Amino acid sequence: MKKSERFLQLAMAILLGFPLLAHAADAKHGGEVYAEACADCHSVKEGKAKKGPSMFGIVGRQAGTVADFNYSDAMRQSKLSWAPDQLSAFLKAPKQKVPGTKMKLDGDLNDAEIADLIAYLSSLH
Amino acid sequence: MINWLYTTLNARRIGLCLGMLLWAVGAFQSAWALPSYARQTGDECAACHVGAYGPQLTPHGMRFKLTGYADSNDQGIKIPLSGMVVASFERTAKALSAKPTAHTDTNNNTGMDEASLFLAGRIAPHVGSFIQATYSGTEHRASIDNSDIRAANTFKLGDLDAIVGISLNNNPGVQDPFNTLPVWGFPYASTELVPGYASPMLSGGLGQHVTGLTAYTMLNDSLYAEFGGYRSLSHGASIRLGVDDTGSSRVASNTYWRLAWMRNQRAYNWSVGLVGMNTGLKPDLTVSDIDRYKDIGIDANFQYLGNRQHIVTASTSYIRERQNLGATYAAGNSENDHNNLSRWQTTASYFYDQTWGFSSSLFRVRGSSDALLYTPADDSGSRIGSPNTNGYILQADWTPWGKENASSTPWPNLRIGLQYTGYTKFNGASTDYDGSGRKARDNNTTFLFIHTSF
Repeated sequence: MKKSERFLQLAMAILLGFPLLAHAADAKHGGEVYAEACADCHSVKEGKAKKGPSMFGIVGRQAGTVADFNYSDAMRQSKLSWAPDQLSAFLKAPKQKVPGTKMKLDGDLNDAEIADLIAYLSSLH
Repeated sequence: MINWLYTTLNARRIGLCLGMLLWAVGAFQSAWALPSYARQTGDECAACHVGAYGPQLTPHGMRFKLTGYADSNDQGIKIPLSGMVVASFERTAKALSAKPTAHTDTNNNTGMDEASLFLAGRIAPHVGSFIQATYSGTEHRASIDNSDIRAANTFKLGDLDAIVGISLNNNPGVQDPFNTLPVWGFPYASTELVPGYASPMLSGGLGQHVTGLTAYTMLNDSLYAEFGGYRSLSHGASIRLGVDDTGSSRVASNTYWRLAWMRNQRAYNWSVGLVGMNTGLKPDLTVSDIDRYKDIGIDANFQYLGNRQHIVTASTSYIRERQNLGATYAAGNSENDHNNLSRWQTTASYFYDQTWGFSSSLFRVRGSSDALLYTPADDSGSRIGSPNTNGYILQADWTPWGKENASSTPWPNLRIGLQYTGYTKFNGASTDYDGSGRKARDNNTTFLFIHTSF
């Protein structure tokens, strides 16, 4: 392998890996973000509805499917599945992702906070 | 309550009643986090209130109030009823010269201060209420207390998120979402059995004797504006609501306005605001003269909420009142036809784990000297004709419930607190302020209280 090719591979590895190196998701910090931004409206207890539905088991769940919770029509019909990438896109801009959602949060979180928050939510099983 | 008793009182007693104004404020100030709201929303008290007990609102609680007490999680049947019982022990450094009410002693009073019933919650979509009826354990009578019925909705206008609403209420300031004005300001509980001091009309001077309609908007959770007016309750309505209007003044005119700017940065939030109220009062219905009170105030508030384990709050307000006492002066009951009265208060609090609270506050009242308005009288009068008063309040409290993980949520909530109020000046002097030898520090008060709501 030529020296220049090795340099190119190294550069690409650094560039591609940079986001991961820059921010490894921190579930503990995600819990802090949750307490600041989410806990007023969402409980982590299974089946506990506040103004928003319970976040227990949210990651991987089909949107709008917590039994007995009165979702907006928009959320119920969104057909979203809360895989981390979908959850991340929603948390970045809830009202753009699901126009008509009752969600009060509106783009208040940065990318690192969202990653940490999803790491925390993933632990709620 | 000077303005309500004015027509039947001589100048000496008017001075007394000016002093009594804050007694009444204290009596009606204890309205709290209501479990009926918690049952309606599924939110615990701590979501809406700093320290897991009202009335200090978080931004989440402000929004609930501004949107008409109507948000709900729509789970099951919601009954918008709550109750509250307040019991206390009160001790002043020196006993009063006379019993403050027929049912209490001159010092060391223990007992139930009040029991309240609330109609509090959603009445219809976008319409809700906070209506309090109170039985006073110190006066042995029941009457309407602070009340606020509102209708509100949210609108999206381009990039602008707007909350627009109207409030029908009976105490200017009770509808305010910020806890900086005297009606909802610290201390959130106080005894009515100690001498009071003069304070501007915006400190609750019209409370329960008026009914008013205001319109308000909150734009982008930042700019708050409100405008409205109040008028006197009719005599018949006063009787039906248990409000004593014996010899009352009548409100000839009233306008109320409020502007505030708020920023919510999630971990912390702050606000600055302006408030104003112009009130014309007719103390003697047989003559055309009117007393005019022009109040204008500035206030600021800061809350660090973080992850709610360590909460720090600070607030300050300054209200200045210009009094044009045309009617009072013409009747020979004031020395001046124009007087000023101002009230400043700054409060800081820390709450640990939404359970343990520590608060301190400084307050100061300044006003024109008027030997006919502020007259000597045992305990509550002024020897030198001055309303000037300085003091401080220290409080520690414990709120074991009101959190999501409390087994009692959303049913009973409880706060137990120990409060100490100290005075360095009272009605113009630190010694012999009342002309009967009483010192300002004789009014220093220890107040142990238990509040429960359910």
